[in-house]
Amino acid sequence: MNTFLLLIFPLAGFLIAALFSAFSKKGLVVGKTFAFLGFSAIVLVAIMAKSEIGSIIYGPMMFGWQLQFGLTAISWYFALMISGISWLTVVFSLGALREGGTYPMYYAWLFAKNLGMLGVILSQDILAFFIMWEFMSWTTYFLLQQGTKKARSTAMGYLIYAIIASMILFAGIIFLHQASGSFGFSEIASTVAGFDMRTLILAAVLLLAPMLIESAAYPLHRWMAPAYSSAETGITAFLSAISTRIGLYGVAIFLFTVLGFTAMKKLSAGHYFNLQVVIMTIGAFTMVVPTFTALFQHDAKKLMAWHSVGQGGYMLVGLATATSLGVAGGLFHIFTYLTYVTLILFCIAAVEYRTGTTNLNSLGGLIKKQPIAYVGLLFGIIGLAGIPPMNGFVSKWLIYRSLILGGHPFLALAAFIGTLGTILSVYKLIHNIFLGQLPERYNDVKEVGFFMQLPIWILMLVVLGTGVFPGLILGWVAKIQVSLGVEPLAVTLSGVQASAGQLNMNVVSSVFGATMLVAFIIFLIGGRRRIVGQYNNYAAGHFLDKTVKYNFNYNFYSAYEHIFGKRFLNPPVKRGEEGLVALVERASDFARRIYTGGLNTYLAYSLGAVILMVVILKGAI
Amino acid sequence: MEKTITQRSAWDKVLTKLQKRSLWMLHYCTGCGAVELPPTMTARFDMERFGIMPMVTPRQADILLITGYLSVKTLKRVVLIYEQMQSPKYVVGFGSCTINGGMYWNSYATIKSLDQYIPVEFYLAGCMPRPEAIIEGFTELIDRIGEGKANSWEDYYKNYEFYRKNQEHVFGTIDTRTDIPDDAKYFKIGEVEK
Amino acid sequence: MNSVIGLVVWIVFYPLIAFTVGVFLGGYGRKFTARVQRRVGPSWIQPFFDVIKLMRKRTNISHGYMHDISLMMLVSGTMLSLYFIPVPGFHYFSQFGDFVVIIYLLLIPSLGMALGVGETANPNGSIGISRALQMLFGYEVPFVLTFIGMAMLNGTTSMYELVQIQQSGGIATWGIVTHPLLGIAALFALQGMMNEKPFEVIIAPHEIATGPMTEMGGKYMGMMFIQHLINLFVELTIYANLFLGGAKNWFELLFKLFVLFTLILSVNSVFGRFRTDDAMRFMWKIPLPLAAIGVVGIMLGIG
Repeated sequence: MNTFLLLIFPLAGFLIAALFSAFSKKGLVVGKTFAFLGFSAIVLVAIMAKSEIGSIIYGPMMFGWQLQFGLTAISWYFALMISGISWLTVVFSLGALREGGTYPMYYAWLFAKNLGMLGVILSQDILAFFIMWEFMSWTTYFLLQQGTKKARSTAMGYLIYAIIASMILFAGIIFLHQASGSFGFSEIASTVAGFDMRTLILAAVLLLAPMLIESAAYPLHRWMAPAYSSAETGITAFLSAISTRIGLYGVAIFLFTVLGFTAMKKLSAGHYFNLQVVIMTIGAFTMVVPTFTALFQHDAKKLMAWHSVGQGGYMLVGLATATSLGVAGGLFHIFTYLTYVTLILFCIAAVEYRTGTTNLNSLGGLIKKQPIAYVGLLFGIIGLAGIPPMNGFVSKWLIYRSLILGGHPFLALAAFIGTLGTILSVYKLIHNIFLGQLPERYNDVKEVGFFMQLPIWILMLVVLGTGVFPGLILGWVAKIQVSLGVEPLAVTLSGVQASAGQLNMNVVSSVFGATMLVAFIIFLIGGRRRIVGQYNNYAAGHFLDKTVKYNFNYNFYSAYEHIFGKRFLNPPVKRGEEGLVALVERASDFARRIYTGGLNTYLAYSLGAVILMVVILKGAI
Repeated sequence: MEKTITQRSAWDKVLTKLQKRSLWMLHYCTGCGAVELPPTMTARFDMERFGIMPMVTPRQADILLITGYLSVKTLKRVVLIYEQMQSPKYVVGFGSCTINGGMYWNSYATIKSLDQYIPVEFYLAGCMPRPEAIIEGFTELIDRIGEGKANSWEDYYKNYEFYRKNQEHVFGTIDTRTDIPDDAKYFKIGEVEK
Repeated sequence: MNSVIGLVVWIVFYPLIAFTVGVFLGGYGRKFTARVQRRVGPSWIQPFFDVIKLMRKRTNISHGYMHDISLMMLVSGTMLSLYFIPVPGFHYFSQFGDFVVIIYLLLIPSLGMALGVGETANPNGSIGISRALQMLFGYEVPFVLTFIGMAMLNGTTSMYELVQIQQSGGIATWGIVTHPLLGIAALFALQGMMNEKPFEVIIAPHEIATGPMTEMGGKYMGMMFIQHLINLFVELTIYANLFLGGAKNWFELLFKLFVLFTLILSVNSVFGRFRTDDAMRFMWKIPLPLAAIGVVGIMLGIG
């Protein structure tokens, strides 16, 4: 019942909100209240649906196949994340959304997007999966449009990639149906063992490629950062937190449930094609390249959008290891990433709400004005960089260990390089927004209101709480591993009990707390200190005042730009993409020239066509 | 009552003995005389024997060494830098020009006596003072710190009006962003210990 | 019961021991440099005098609460990583966190300092941090690769177990003997990690006014000193544990630290300063390929 409601509520919400906005262009308060209630209901239903794991409900008949929906351990995990983040986004929007602008269709598309995502994760056969997938892609397109003027063209970029993905997925579904005679996950899984190698490879490629496009894996990632960064900031948070990760859900489902372990072993044993190595390599590139592209961004949202591409690599690599540690790491990283990226983007949105910009070169010193947003961002970046005691550390630790002990030293190195790049770019983020000199024009900036603060507080609690007690989430991850057929991780509330060494976050964080206390005592032993203003500052004897810009934030990592700048700002993938566009343009230009407008040419075409037809017909006869 | 004071001062004495072995110096050498410092720091005389090291910013420095004449314009910077230093801090006037203007006595653009504007711990007379004299002066300073007698910096907090008046007389009002009388209250400088 | 008391004693005194060793190492470092320059040099415990002086400053300025907290993060992060490093007689915490944890804990001080320096709103500081983070990227990459190689070879990421394995066969099983390439690469990285010349561009007093320390005075500088001294011990001990077979007793450990530090100081005292990008290029051209060759060797089963 609750599973059913999980699909019905967003659908109803979408219809009502769309109707409402069609008839009333105003009424922001009504819209907000409705959306808040609607998403609260979805969250409640998602939580209550836990008891229904394993049951199947049947949808309408299509092509002689009855669509199947149902909850599994992994889809409940995703359902909770989707509904939770949607709810937080809505709560945030209660404060952030202003009259006009992106409203009124905002909430309608949010409901629709939820329907699409929940549909994808609930579907238990590939036909339903494909239908919901299509729906989700379209709603993403409309959501992406709800932003700046630039959003329309970047959303179109997304659409092109999404259509390609859908085409491939469609081909894959038809192919699998031909090969196995069924649409259902379990039916396909039972016949997969009998496939020959070539069929298996084709099936794997056709199923996984669209998922990799959706999760923005290198080199199919270029749509994501521009599209997400030009959307409205709350939407950026929502999309980069969960929407992209649906692709990873697809990877997990297709790898472990549809293809299964036997197929994976078979695919990974081949000499000329090794699925595991291919996915891991893609993952490694996804970890490193976008992270360093992020380093050179001058816009907070764009920087985070590139990170949201990069962090996908960790999850991909984790899943592809197919070991107990790695899969747990990958799945847990989806959750941890979701929490801190939303937190970071909400804090950026809070700054944008007050200052009207996310340009990293023009902000600065806002820590004095928006301390709560600062602390939120700090928690977020510590999580994103994966430093204890935040939750990001635990998931990254799992992935590292699985890579090191699994004999992939260079993948582990790539993961670490990605982390270091992350530290560099998130420091740039927090430094350029909150630290340094406060420009005079931001002197009357205030903290944001209650509704915008609430999600920040909640997420801060989650990021820290699941970092200190990772067992809260890892326990469920272990259950997912059982349902996927992976050996479950030995989880305790405080961490992991692995065979070669363990991790106890309780100990790490309590020692951290104790040493902080010692450091505080040392701090107190020293003399009194006085807080001074930013103009009371060493400038080699120069008198500072508001006319002097005494700040360093432009071109923050100059040595890197010196060494790498060109390579990352104009990468081969970008050049390839541009080449493709140029090719299409040229082809279209050629096609345009066919229509000259002169009667003679058309007559000549007709004559040619007739001759061609005669020749072909003759040949056929 | 008597006893607690002695215990405290005994503890204080020990720490001061340790403290005096470390002095970081900021040298302000817009005038002449900077040439005497390299031999003082390097192998010939080696100032670091006494724990005296050159430092770069006023926040870290204990000694402000002012060499040679000070023009009115640079005095502003000296006052700013002096106020940015953390107490206890010691100003050392180096060369005759800081004492009485020296050979620039007739100049319209230089100040005559540095101690009219900031409290000076001691002067190194001469034109130039040789490195031996510098070392001699610094060892003297170290001894005085050890005995707890090097307290000229407190004078700036106690008699701020005097210094301020002289400063304003030379270059008018400047905003160093440090409120000295308020700082004195905040850090309880110059209050009689009970 | 006895072990509990022993544990508590260790927990209380371990940072103090590390600090004391750090003071002597720091003093030795300054003395060594002075002697190379034919000077007498300061006292052997000069860093201790400096700390006392700095902590006893009467006035201190701060640029805000993050400035204060960052210094605490600095000290506490270093102490935290200290606890997870096994030394003779004390390896209680190394069972709760392995080397990956230590690497991440070592990032806490860097991040803490970076945040505090950011709040001081001084461009010299920000430039210093920018350089520090870029250098971090330069030296951590080869260092981590050497560690990955060691961990892969021995099948464990626990530092304590690595030490045990290395001690099993005397000098012949030390990391530096069994895998000289990794050991040498890590030695280069260590030079950068300890900010010694030629990788000292972060501080660069004549260029950016000591960079991160520009606005640090009084007890703030004092805490940075305390952290620096503990960090000397931490970083040298990490190397000793990874490649020099750890130590069976404290005498052996101190001797190894002394030798290692002398090696680093002798490079330090004769080199100039690399520019940031040159330093990074160096790190990626010499130590990183060395480490990579070493790791490939391990993967192929050589050595």
